[in-house]
Amino acid sequence: MAGSLNFRSRTRVQDLGRLPWGLILLISAMALIGVAILYSATYTNPREADLPMKQAVRLGAAFIVMLAVALVPLKVWFQMAWPAYVSTFFLLICVELFGVTGGGAQRWLQVGPIAIQPSEFMKVALTLALAAYYHKRWRDESGGFLLHVPALGLICLPAILIFKQPDFGTTLALFASGGILLFLAGLYKRIILSVIVLGVGSIPLVYSFVLQDYQRERVDTFVAQLTGQSVNLIDDGYQIEQAKIAIGSGGLTGKGYMEGTQAQLDYIPEQHTDFILTVLAEEFGFLATTGVLLIWALILALGLMIALRTTSLFGRFVAAGAVATVAFYILFNIAMVLGLLPVVGVPLPLLSYGGTVMITVATSFGLVCSVHLAKDDPLQAL
Amino acid sequence: MSSNRQVDPMFNRRAIMAAGGGALLFGGLIARLFQLQILNREKYQLAAADNSVKLELAPPQRGQILDRFGRSLASHRRAGRISVVPEQSGDLSAVLQKISQYIDLPRERQDRILSQARRQAAFQPVIVARELSYEDFARMSLRAPQMPGVLVEMASTRSYPRGRDFAHVLGYVSRASNDYIFREAFNTLNSSRDRKLDEALAKEFSGIRMSRQLRQDFFLTHPDEAGLLRAFHDTYGDVATLLKHRDMRAGRSGIELRAEAYLRGKSGFRRLETNAAGRIIRELPSEDLAPVPGRDLYLTVDAELQKFAIDRFGGESGAAVVLDIDTGDLLAFVSTPAFDPNDFVNGISQADYDKLRFSDRYPLYHKAYDGTYPPGSTFKMVVATAALEAGIIDPEERVHCNGRYHFGNNTWHCWRRQGHGSVNMHSAIKGSCDVYFYEIARRMGIETLAETAKEFGFGQSWDLGLTGGRQGVVPNNAWKLEAQGEPWYEGETLNIGIGQGQLSATPLQLAVMTARIAAEGRLINPQIIGIGPKPGADIPGDKPLDRARMQRMKAGMFGVTSEAGGTALRAGDLGLGGPRLAGKTGTAQVRRISAAERRSGILKGEEIDRRLRDHALFVAYAPHDDPKYAISVIVEHGEGGSRTAAPIARDILAEALRQDSRRAPNYVQTAALAPGRSGGGGS
Repeated sequence: MAGSLNFRSRTRVQDLGRLPWGLILLISAMALIGVAILYSATYTNPREADLPMKQAVRLGAAFIVMLAVALVPLKVWFQMAWPAYVSTFFLLICVELFGVTGGGAQRWLQVGPIAIQPSEFMKVALTLALAAYYHKRWRDESGGFLLHVPALGLICLPAILIFKQPDFGTTLALFASGGILLFLAGLYKRIILSVIVLGVGSIPLVYSFVLQDYQRERVDTFVAQLTGQSVNLIDDGYQIEQAKIAIGSGGLTGKGYMEGTQAQLDYIPEQHTDFILTVLAEEFGFLATTGVLLIWALILALGLMIALRTTSLFGRFVAAGAVATVAFYILFNIAMVLGLLPVVGVPLPLLSYGGTVMITVATSFGLVCSVHLAKDDPLQAL
Repeated sequence: MSSNRQVDPMFNRRAIMAAGGGALLFGGLIARLFQLQILNREKYQLAAADNSVKLELAPPQRGQILDRFGRSLASHRRAGRISVVPEQSGDLSAVLQKISQYIDLPRERQDRILSQARRQAAFQPVIVARELSYEDFARMSLRAPQMPGVLVEMASTRSYPRGRDFAHVLGYVSRASNDYIFREAFNTLNSSRDRKLDEALAKEFSGIRMSRQLRQDFFLTHPDEAGLLRAFHDTYGDVATLLKHRDMRAGRSGIELRAEAYLRGKSGFRRLETNAAGRIIRELPSEDLAPVPGRDLYLTVDAELQKFAIDRFGGESGAAVVLDIDTGDLLAFVSTPAFDPNDFVNGISQADYDKLRFSDRYPLYHKAYDGTYPPGSTFKMVVATAALEAGIIDPEERVHCNGRYHFGNNTWHCWRRQGHGSVNMHSAIKGSCDVYFYEIARRMGIETLAETAKEFGFGQSWDLGLTGGRQGVVPNNAWKLEAQGEPWYEGETLNIGIGQGQLSATPLQLAVMTARIAAEGRLINPQIIGIGPKPGADIPGDKPLDRARMQRMKAGMFGVTSEAGGTALRAGDLGLGGPRLAGKTGTAQVRRISAAERRSGILKGEEIDRRLRDHALFVAYAPHDDPKYAISVIVEHGEGGSRTAAPIARDILAEALRQDSRRAPNYVQTAALAPGRSGGGGS
């Protein structure tokens, strides 16, 4: 540790100036859009009146977390990669053993007054671990298949535990971002293809033997609405149908801020959390939804650019993994809201109300920034 | 560094591939958004509108009832109202507590609301307060959005701006009872079909609270009637939905009941924007679904004359009927005291209702139409006419009156103890000599007298289009055999000769009698509906009367008010300078005067309990030389016709002449615009 401190020749204040401010500005803009939409989504419901304020406060806190993460030298993150992964994994086992059940799933650990959700930390910890793994192993091995077997293990072990909670969304997120890292690390395309084929082929098996009843229902509903069959309009089917009506009725320019009948009249369950996009779509139309998608694409592209411009493998993998994690959330959430994927609880980063995903997004982009600050550091000393 | 260099190209290549994949996915999402928001926009916009718009039954605005000059007698008033839907509000008593912080809502009222709420379905609103003051309405409108299930709205209520003045004529509206709904559904169904549904069966069918299964079973056990029963079930449902609406009222008596179909209109719908929980957010334009308001109904009455007449009665109870002699239009149709129909619209409390029911002045009773009284001496023109028709006396023949008349073993008395001396027909009417009329009644016999009475319109009722209407009694032998199982005694004829005994008549009949005398025998059909559902022309039992005889009666009535010896000399002057009125006094005996009392001196009115005092009557027309108005007035327990009834009649007639109450009504033009409807009162 002493060495890492010695390595630093610049002060933190200088680091602050060298942060990728364009990226940060775009992220902040997206957060502000989120608060505005949240205000519209909640303002007719007196019980939800304080949510936008809460969200704004949390965003402020998340912003500070992001800067703090960014200013921790990448070297420190490198050193903490394994301890973080191992301890988070340990926490997941604790959840399995002593976890608190809430909302039908056993996801939380009660530590004094604080309830923590280790599966959220695992997304970042896994990225760090995989990056550290590949950073080290690339020097020893020439990149054969065996190189990727331990990496696959790193992904699967926590994924299985999280799936058992059950938390389908986070499991998918782990596989998606981990898979991307494996792909970037040079896993044979043949293997990737066969895994995809296997995965698709095993869907009926997963459906029959792995999924819980409520998850099966969601898939049923999803297939029904996708193929245009009449769906059970009471639960999930109702939600998707109402979401489509909200989005579709927004048209090109929308009904105007706080003028959406679907949104203001509470027709869409979870419209302030997972289904926040429906409010944007209804009140501001196609131009706004496309605009938000493009801003997100730009943010992700900027993150990826940082990965490409970084010298150290660790930095490259960390930045790419962080971008992949956030990208997964965005793509999955929007596809879900648009009726292209089953309804699985995946929030839309920075727009949906809720603190958990915000931590993931803040640490992810904090790491990207930290990578940016250390883009010329090969991390060879370690 | 070197190891990184090996990896860089592949990492970069693959990163760009991944980015490309991501871009494709983003593109796919945008394509999907394009599909939903641009291509299918209209479909979803329709769905969104459909979603949030609910149709709510909109009851029609009930037609107004107006007097002949277009003054409003029954109208509607919009007032603020609070109602609560228990299903949405949660704990109702807590909500009422909260509301009582803002408006006055006494404990008992809260209890009544709670018990009412228990009796109905939770999704039906209970009304917490109506007729809100402006301040209360504003205050509650402000709070309601924070109180789920609480509705503050403007509602239309039937109102009777002239309160008591037309209570008996108009009747009132109130919430329809289940019986009422049944009757309406039953009549609606049967009037539209050739095959009639049996009423007992329909009653049985609607009487049971039926599940779908029970209903089906009922159809099965009545296979022949199943189709009709099914149709009845649907009709009943429609009628009940409308009539049970919280803003809907149905006519319960009077014109409001008889003209229900005419006044009601047709229900429509309101488009309401509701949220997912069903809470109403606002009302959207719904002109195309608007209810059709009921039609306005015009009466022939003059509301100001009616009011004048009621005020003139003061605290007395009684009735007055003013007729236009040319048209038969009823210009005033007064029964006093009366109730305020406004009290009935939203339901009257039992205590208030009992007060009306048990009052010794019978405010619920339509004395002018349903009240039957012995006509007393006002009947003497009929007796005289009957005598002339029968030819049993020459009008100039003199009869001697010494105050007593002996027949069989009994003695009848003249009202004037010392007698009238020698009287002919004219002076007998003028001085109301009872002995003269005992004599001619005895000479002609009851059958002759009864026949003429019927020619005048006694013993029959006119359907005016209101509820009620009594015929009174014109007794004869056949009637007595049927009613009492005894034959007629000749002595009773003497009582009928002075308008007493079993004879009874309504104030309306007396007014028609007077009008027919004034019109010198022409038939007169009284009517009160100017424009509206007129009752079918019934075949009246009255006949045209001989003109010369009627002129003789007029002369007698003029004598009463204008010649020396007339019993109502003081009432003759209308106070309008020229014209006088002609009339006839009457006193209807309520109790029998015993021989002992007659010996010791008949008790004065003040010495007798009010309920036993005589009724005072007066019939008249004016002006005497060109009759336009006929009137009958009865003052219950008012003692002497000349003392209490005549001044009231005089003042009402004078007012009618002053105001020209019979001038052409406003609705004549309206009638001209509505072809096919039988013409208004104008002739």
